[in-house]
Amino acid sequence: MGGLFSYFRGLLGSREMRILILGLDGAGKTTILYRLQVGEVVTTIPTIGFNVEQVAYKNLKFQVWDLGGQTSIRPYWRCYYSNTDAIIYVVDSADRDRIGISKDELFYMLREDELAGAILVVLANKQDMEGCMSVAEVHQALGLENLKNRTFQIFKTSATKGEGLDQAMDWLSNALQARK
Amino acid sequence: MFTLVHGLYKYITQKEDFYVLLLGLDNAGKTTFLEATKTRFVNHYKGMHASKITTTVGLNIGQIEVDGIRLNFWDLGGQQELQSLWDKYYSECHGIIYVIDSNDRDRMEESKVVFDKMIKNDLLTDVPLLVLANKQDLPDVMGVREIKPVFQHAGILIGRRDCLTIPISALNGEGVHEGITWLVDAIKRNSLARPPREND
Repeated sequence: MGGLFSYFRGLLGSREMRILILGLDGAGKTTILYRLQVGEVVTTIPTIGFNVEQVAYKNLKFQVWDLGGQTSIRPYWRCYYSNTDAIIYVVDSADRDRIGISKDELFYMLREDELAGAILVVLANKQDMEGCMSVAEVHQALGLENLKNRTFQIFKTSATKGEGLDQAMDWLSNALQARK
Repeated sequence: MFTLVHGLYKYITQKEDFYVLLLGLDNAGKTTFLEATKTRFVNHYKGMHASKITTTVGLNIGQIEVDGIRLNFWDLGGQQELQSLWDKYYSECHGIIYVIDSNDRDRMEESKVVFDKMIKNDLLTDVPLLVLANKQDLPDVMGVREIKPVFQHAGILIGRRDCLTIPISALNGEGVHEGITWLVDAIKRNSLARPPREND
């Protein structure tokens, strides 16, 4: 009975979680956002500015912000940092040339105090591409071993094929709930 | 005066930070153990239900306060391709917990090989080691008496560090308290060789 009660209280009292999807341009952020929201692959163009959608996942509501990833607009990411519960950082696993830039942007971002409590999910996207980096390679290339004070998890995904996103969202919703 | 009071306050409330690495093969129960530990040592911590714990690819952290010190856990992924990332954490850790799935006889040898490779790393010399024979809640699992010989020959590698092997069940929490208490003592004994991390 008590369990049932707390279940309903959980439903009523839960506020929308705020999630940012970040990463370099062309990593697949917008495709992921709409995969999560409508479950389909939509045709996207490079985002200038942002897309924001409400995503429902297993009784949890997320407000998901997908921010443009081009060099010139990355400095504006920080305007969106306050009250962020989680960051989904998307990496193009096939883009070995720019993984170093991706690493720099990630660490530049994580230095912000406003994101100190945010949970980090790294999506090693485009796993359908041939010769892409494995999870361990992405881990090393991003220098994630330097993140010693933050829970994070990496998932292999292919946004176009819809693979890996469910596992990532499962983990994220459990992690967000356990944190409270 | 303020400085004096402030200094005193800091002296009283300040806790020394020690870091503990959770290692072992995938599916050994490292994350479940971490959750069980947090549930026991952190007030009001609800914990993640065991059925919701998935394969770790990345890092889970935890922080508990015991006996006047603060223990920080790094729970790493145990899959083969992720084992290459373990040594990035060796130089900064003060204790190692190696978790074994006592129910998985087929992978005991693999676990031993991985253990040997880990324990002979120079960066871990003399770091206290706690070996957990996990999943003792299951029937017909290997007991400590059976598991110890498998890891015994690593005696030289283990060296003169503090080392303890105990049976536990991360799922129902048996042995968790005992293990942590022992590790805290061992880490304190070793704190001249591995001093706590300076915190500001």
